[in-house]
Order: sequence, then structure tokens, then C-alpha cells
Amino acid sequence: MSGGVSQLESLLPRESLLWIFAAQLAVLLPHSVHLPLWLLGGWCIAVYWRLEVFRGRREMPGRMVKLLAVSLALAGLVLTYRRWFALEPMVALLAVSFTLKNIELVSRRDALLSLLLAYFLAATLFVFEQTIPYALYGILCVVIITAALIAQQGLGSARPGRALGMSAKLLAQAMPVMLVLFVVVPRLGPLWAVPQNSNAATTGISDSMSPGDLSELSKSAKPALRISFDGPVPPPEQRYWRGLVYTHFDGRRWSEPGADRGGLNWGRSGPGSRGHGRSHRGEGNDASERPLPAVGPRFRYQVIQEPSNSPWLFALARPHSETRGVRETGDDTLVYKMPVASRLAYDVRSWPRDNASSDARLDALERRNHLQLPAEGNPRARAWARARRDEGLSAEAISDALLNFYNRRFTYTLRPPALGADSVDEFLFSTREGFCEHFASSYVFTMRAAGVPARVVAGYQGGEWVEQQEYLLVREYDAHAWAEIWLPARGWVRVDPTASVAPERIRDGLQSAAADEFMQDALVPLHKFAFISRLQLQWDMVNYRWYKTVVSFDSERQQGLLRRILGEISPLRMALFIGLPMLLALLCLLLWLKLSSRGPTLPVASRLYLRFCQRMAGAGLARNPGEAPGDYARRIERELPRLGPIAARITSAYEKAAYGGDPLAEKQLRRLLRTFWPMRLAGDALRHTDSPTEGQSVGQ
Amino acid sequence: MASEEKLSSNGFAVQKIISAIVADIGKVLLGKEHQVKLALACLLARGHLLIEDLPGMGKTTLAHALAQVLGLSYKRVQFTSDMLPADIIGVSIFERDSGQFRFHEGPVFSQLLLADEINRSSPKTQSALLEAMEEHQVSIDGETRALPEPFFVIATQNPLQQSGTFVLPESQLDRFLMRISLGYPTREAERALFQGVDPRAQLARLAPRINSEGLRKLQSLVGQVKASDSLLDYLERLVLHSRQSPECTVGLSPRGALALLHAARAWALIHNRSHLLPEDLQAVLPAVAGHRLQTDGTGGTQLVERMMHQVDIIAA
Repeated sequence: MSGGVSQLESLLPRESLLWIFAAQLAVLLPHSVHLPLWLLGGWCIAVYWRLEVFRGRREMPGRMVKLLAVSLALAGLVLTYRRWFALEPMVALLAVSFTLKNIELVSRRDALLSLLLAYFLAATLFVFEQTIPYALYGILCVVIITAALIAQQGLGSARPGRALGMSAKLLAQAMPVMLVLFVVVPRLGPLWAVPQNSNAATTGISDSMSPGDLSELSKSAKPALRISFDGPVPPPEQRYWRGLVYTHFDGRRWSEPGADRGGLNWGRSGPGSRGHGRSHRGEGNDASERPLPAVGPRFRYQVIQEPSNSPWLFALARPHSETRGVRETGDDTLVYKMPVASRLAYDVRSWPRDNASSDARLDALERRNHLQLPAEGNPRARAWARARRDEGLSAEAISDALLNFYNRRFTYTLRPPALGADSVDEFLFSTREGFCEHFASSYVFTMRAAGVPARVVAGYQGGEWVEQQEYLLVREYDAHAWAEIWLPARGWVRVDPTASVAPERIRDGLQSAAADEFMQDALVPLHKFAFISRLQLQWDMVNYRWYKTVVSFDSERQQGLLRRILGEISPLRMALFIGLPMLLALLCLLLWLKLSSRGPTLPVASRLYLRFCQRMAGAGLARNPGEAPGDYARRIERELPRLGPIAARITSAYEKAAYGGDPLAEKQLRRLLRTFWPMRLAGDALRHTDSPTEGQSVGQ
Repeated sequence: MASEEKLSSNGFAVQKIISAIVADIGKVLLGKEHQVKLALACLLARGHLLIEDLPGMGKTTLAHALAQVLGLSYKRVQFTSDMLPADIIGVSIFERDSGQFRFHEGPVFSQLLLADEINRSSPKTQSALLEAMEEHQVSIDGETRALPEPFFVIATQNPLQQSGTFVLPESQLDRFLMRISLGYPTREAERALFQGVDPRAQLARLAPRINSEGLRKLQSLVGQVKASDSLLDYLERLVLHSRQSPECTVGLSPRGALALLHAARAWALIHNRSHLLPEDLQAVLPAVAGHRLQTDGTGGTQLVERMMHQVDIIAA
């Protein structure tokens, strides 16, 4: 393959080019969400230039132009990203090289290269998105790219219908292989950690809480958690999905302990940092201090958490998780080793506090932390608390009095009025309208002022069943804040001040509690149409199942599945599991090929004669395909004279039967063949070399 | 059934006549039995014969001997580049005595015409002859005249020294049922020639073995040779192979396939068989298909040889 002629021949025809561009566009289009838009513009320019070359209006770009294009693209990447070793810049680099390849798309080799790159780029889409629409789009991409590959073969196969049909057929045939490989190919963890994009905004509950934060969340109907239970299900009023515990109050904001020291920026301090001042169970003495019972009532469930870009996980009280990367904290919450940047599934077992042993103690430091209050501010609340304490009431009694106070005068609303500097005082004694964070915040403040250790807990409460209790869907608007107080006899006890104002919020969820205010800002009040909500739930269910069966199919699930299918995972069984279906498929294919290639069945005489030929071949003298029976008989006569006469008789019988249509000859042929065993005959003949069997001239 | 009986009842006589004919010609054209049989088969199949060979190989002798033995009227035309169609077909000449035109028959009005070096004449003349071969009649001055029956053309051409010749186009070649070449004689035959066997003297001594009535009967017997399904399968495979093989630019046409079958039938008749065998097809295949297949580079005959080796006789 050299010389100008072959190069001319291998120039890409119009159909090839158009197909390549179609495949490229299909692949690049979804990437435009993640990648800079100028990339798509660059692609358009490159394609335009290549088309101009095709029409003969422009030359292929020279070396200088190419160099310029590459430098421009690289500069663009550097300016856009500033950081190299992350996922997005790498994908962008791939897309850029893919785009620039268009201006040197000359030969078929270039076309194949470009299309193979397109496959790769289509695969990188799944780094960013793993939902069903993207999966479907990915399949579409693969179909188009394969069709483009087929179209490279020439004119006839470049017709859209034919190329797409062929491609679909090919991929459909590959489907069983794909499924088997999906199940059996070993799942390796990522070999190296690729830095994810850290610019993404955190969603959901944040590391601090000030009035108004959660009511912002209540405007979002996005899913936050999906929880499926294995075994008993807690009643609705027990479904408190604890995420964060706020112990520090600065007069306005509740935050985690140590957050004021600036140690809780996960993005900067990196995974594994313990700068946030929590004590981790499972390290040191903590584990032996508060052991969880091995038996007794507990809830077992799996949580699938949407990406929140923060490390907090959500679980019922006293949780324990075996999932890798999940740790328990001293506050009975779970954290992940790094911010949750993509959907995360974790298995949790929870022991409700009432059943767990209550031999816990609160040491001095913790006690001090949980009584912390700003030095001044909110004097009326402090005075109220002091008055209750001076009355000699117990912690429970103070709490009851406070809850009663809420119950009589307060309103639950999604649109609380703004609060001034002494937020607790203003809420308790003047506005008296608030959302859950107002209640939780003022409750904990007052309890602390009364000398009862207390803390604010943020998380989600409630959830909506999907598809006959298959799983519980918890949305952003289920975000909730409540309180926990320390009772020496019982340990930490959950108190939800919101419940005493708006019990329906706890029982039935926000929608029934807030009624008209619920999702008021939504452009289209979709939640008011039952049909659409049902559809949304259905769609969510489909997504959930997709995630559970496909996306989260990791090595653990793989082994579980294989164990279920095979009984045990041994090399032999694995080999059988992979090999048997393949063997079966190959056998079917072989059978089909054999049946289809045989064509019409041979007439009896021909089959008999072929048997004769086979036996002769066994004796070392095979018939050539184009050798006429008569010629073959003469060759046998010449080379194996002892077999000559019988071969001649068989041949003439065959000729009469097959070509003369003589039914008697067929019978004769059958009879002759019955005794025709060339090896034995030749052997006999060799033994009686002087016996007069030869010389019988037959036929010709 | 009746025809088959007739064939078998006449079998002995037919075979005797045919072997006598072959033997007689063999006396003149030494050691060329296969070619003689092919020529005879061609004639029995009512086809025309193209002999492609060097001068002096016995082309004329073969034609002459065939005419003599079969009792046919024989004419020979030496084709040249300045020949006109009228030189072959004939011409109408005004006769003063009778005061009208009278048609003077050309050499084409014979039972066996030897067209020597057919490629020397202009295409116009060639096509006049070829038309007569195809239609078995000629049209002159608006009047159609039938040619004598049987009408058999043996054309020769010299494969060498093609300069100044008009090569027969493929469509014209197709008019010939067979194309054969005689080739050099065997050593024994040539020795006999040297030893004084004079073919010309032998030629003069040959007596007709059959009359035109008998020849017509023989020709009608050709059509009664039976071709079984197995054989037709083989024929189909051969034809298909010629059409699908990458070596062949143009495969056998349906007319070519029919010609092959008919020639093979004649060959079977010559060998005293009432049914066709694959070897009959193989025997006539090079002569029938060699000039019909178009190839790129290699000669048609070599291609046919390969085809015969590759195509399975008994189905794949």
C-alpha cells in the first residue's frame, strides 16, 4: 500500500465524512453540559473547514495552522480549568483532540481512529452521569458510531437505513455477551483516585444552621435519600434520619463543634481529616464505652443517598454500618470518608435508643460543650429558663413546660418573619411564627439556659413510600431540625418541638402541614396534580431500581449474585458458568451453519456414492472434487488395481442410478457397498497376490 | 418413453455409424480422436465450430473429411480483408437473355462451409456470415432464402499474427458452439505421416457413411439424451461458479449454459449413452465455455480447467 494511487483511493467519500460528523456530534452533544461551550464551537469550525476541503474550496490546513489550533485549544483548556489532574480537564482534552482530528481527516485510517475515539468519549459520559436517560443516550451513541464504522465500508452500506440497521443488529447480537460480561467480569475498584470537581455546590443540609436555612430547602422537591428496609419498618413518627449534630451556638448560627475554628472545610482539608473535633467511635476507648447490643430489635435498611458534596450520611439513631468508608461518630451519626460526590449506597443497622442500654455517661468536656451559650443576648429566654429552674422543676418538666408554651401560642409556617439580633427572644416572645429550625434552636437555647445539656440535630424526617413500600423516598423538603436533651437516667432523648406545634408535619409530612405555603415558589404547581405526582414517583422508582441493579453493581453484589446462581464461587463453577452458555451458543451456531449450508438433501445414490468415496479416502485414495466418477474409477484401477473391478462396478451402478434414473442400479449400489471395505479388500488382495481376482474388465 | 426405446433399438446402428465416422476421419487426421469427436458432437448438436490454430495443423483436412464422410456438400472460402458480404452470400446479376435479375448463390449455400481465417475479413463481411449461421437463412434484395439443411460452418482463425485482422467480438464468438484447437500431432501420428501415409489420398478414398436424412435423425437423437437432476445440479453449479468466481469477469450466459448441455448430450450420444454423465459435461466444457468466459489475463481455457477442478460433481 504505497504510492499516490492508493492514497487517492483511500480518500474519504462524502458519506463517510457525514457519518463521522454525525457520530461526533452525537457524542459531543451531552458533553456540552460538562465541558466548555467553546469546545463545541471549535468542533463546528473544524467540521466546516473539513467540508470546505471536501468541496475543493480550501486546502487541508498546513502545519502552522494545525500548530496554532492545538496551542489555542490547549490555552483554552488551561484558562478554563487551571487544574490539570482532574477528571473534567482530561475528558476535555480528549474531546479537544477528537475535535482537532477533523482537520486532518484524510484517509480511512484517520476515520477509523476518529470513530474509535468516539467510542471512548461516549464511555466517558458515564463518569459524569449514570442515569437511565444517559444510558439510553449512550446506547444510541454506540449505535450511531457503529453505523458510521459500517458506513466506512463503501457506498451500499453507507445508506442510513442499512448502516443503522446493520449496527443495531450487530449490537443486538453482542447483547448476550454484554450481559454475561456484566455479571462475571471482576469489578475492580478505581485504580487511582481521580479528583472530582470540587467547585460543585453542596446541596442539602450544611454544616451550620441559621434561621431560614431549612425553609430554603423546603422549596426543593429533589430526592435526597432512598431507603429500603429489610425487615421491620419504623412507624412514621420514628423516622428521624439524623445527619448532623449542632452543638455550638454563636447567638445566631448553630454549628458543629469546632466549626468556628474553621476546621470543617472538607474540600480543603481533604478526606480523612479529623479537624472537626468529633470523637469517632471505633477508635480508642469509645468502642468499648458504648457497645451496641448484638441482639435485640433493630432496623436494617439500605440508604441510597443523592450526591450532596458533603460527607454526612443519614440514619436512624444509634446506627452502625459495615459499608466501606462509612464511620460512626460519637454523636450517633455516620460520616463518609469524603464528600459524597455521586450516589452512594450504604447499609445501616440501627438500634432505637429506648431499647439500647442506657449506661452512658456524659463527661465533663461534653457536658460543657452541650451547655455552651454565647456570653450575652436573648435575656428574656434566659430569664424564663432560670425561672423554671428556680421552681425546682426537673429537666423533663422544664421541657414539657416549654413544649406546652409552644403548643398554646405558636404557628408553624414556611414563611417566618425576619428576626433581629436576639433571635430566640424575638421568636419566643414576639413573632411566634417559625419553621422547624426556629423551634429547635429556641428549644435548645432555652434548655441549655435552664442547665439541661441539649443539642440541635439536623437531618430529614418522614419520607414517602414508593411502589407499595418498596422504598422510602425522602426529598429535600423533608429536611428537618429537632432537639436532643440529656437525661441522666436515659441518656440522649429526642425532643421535637415542631411536633407540639404541628404534629401533622411529623405524621404526614410537610405538604399537609404547610398546606398552601408548600412549594409556593414553584413555577408550575405540579405537586397539586395527583396524576403527575404519581408519575414522578413511578419515574423515581424506575431510577431507583436502575441504580440498585445496574449502577451499584459492585464486586460485593457481584459475588452475592454469583453465589446465588452458582452456590459457591469456585474456578470450576465459574468456568462452567461462562463456558457452558458460550459453548451452547457456538454449538447452535455450528448446527445452524451446517443446516443452512447443506442446501437441498442429496439424492440417495449420491449419498451412497459419497460413502464409497469416503471409504476410498480412508484407503488413501480420495476423490478430487471435480473428478468425474468414471475418471475416479479409472484412477483407482490404475493406482490400486486390486480394487479396480469392484470400484468400476460401483461407479457404473452409481452412474446408472444417479444419471440414468435406474432404480435397480440404486439397489445394486447399496448391495455392492455393503461388502465394500477397501482396507480389508486391499489387505486380502495383498495376501493372495497370485489369486486370479484381477483382470475382470468392467465398464469402460 | 417411445423416443427412448427408439434410441435404444437403434443404439447398435447409431453406435456403428458413429464409430465408423470417427474411424474414417481418424485415418485422415491421425491421433486427433478427441478433437474429431468434438467436431462431430458440435455438428450433431447443430452448432458451428471455430478452430483456432496455426496454419498446417489440419484444420482444412478435418473440415474436408467431415464433409466427405457425412456426405455433405462442401465449400471453402478464404477470407481476406477486401471481401464483401456478397462474396459469401451471393449476388443478383442482370441477365440480358431473360431480361431479369438472377441470383447467383454464394459459397454460403452449402452444407458445410469452411470459412478460413475468418478474422482477416472486415466486420461487415464477418457479420454477414455470422448472421447466416444464426438464422440459417440469408436475405438478399428483400428476398429471404433458406440455406441448405444441415448447415454447418467451420471457421478457422490464426491465433498468431493478429496484425491486420479484425478480432471477432465476444458477441460473435458466442455464435460458435465450440472453439477447439487441434494442436501438434502425437509422435506416433507424426511418424506415420513421415512414413508416407498420405492424408490427401485417404481423403479422396473416403466414402459417405451417412446421408443428410440419417444425419438429421442423429441430430434429433441428441435431444433425447436424458439429463438427470443430479447432472443438472452439477451444470447449475458450474454455471454459478463461472458467474461468481472472482477470476471471471463475465460468466456463462443462459445461452452458454444451454449450449453446454446440448453439446454434452451430443457427446454422450457419440459415446453411446442414453443419459448424460458428468464426464460428458467435462469433456465438452473447455470447448464450449472457453471462448465464452471473459477473464482478466489468463486464458479462458485455463480458467475452465480450474473450474472443473474446483466445482464438486456431487454437491458440496
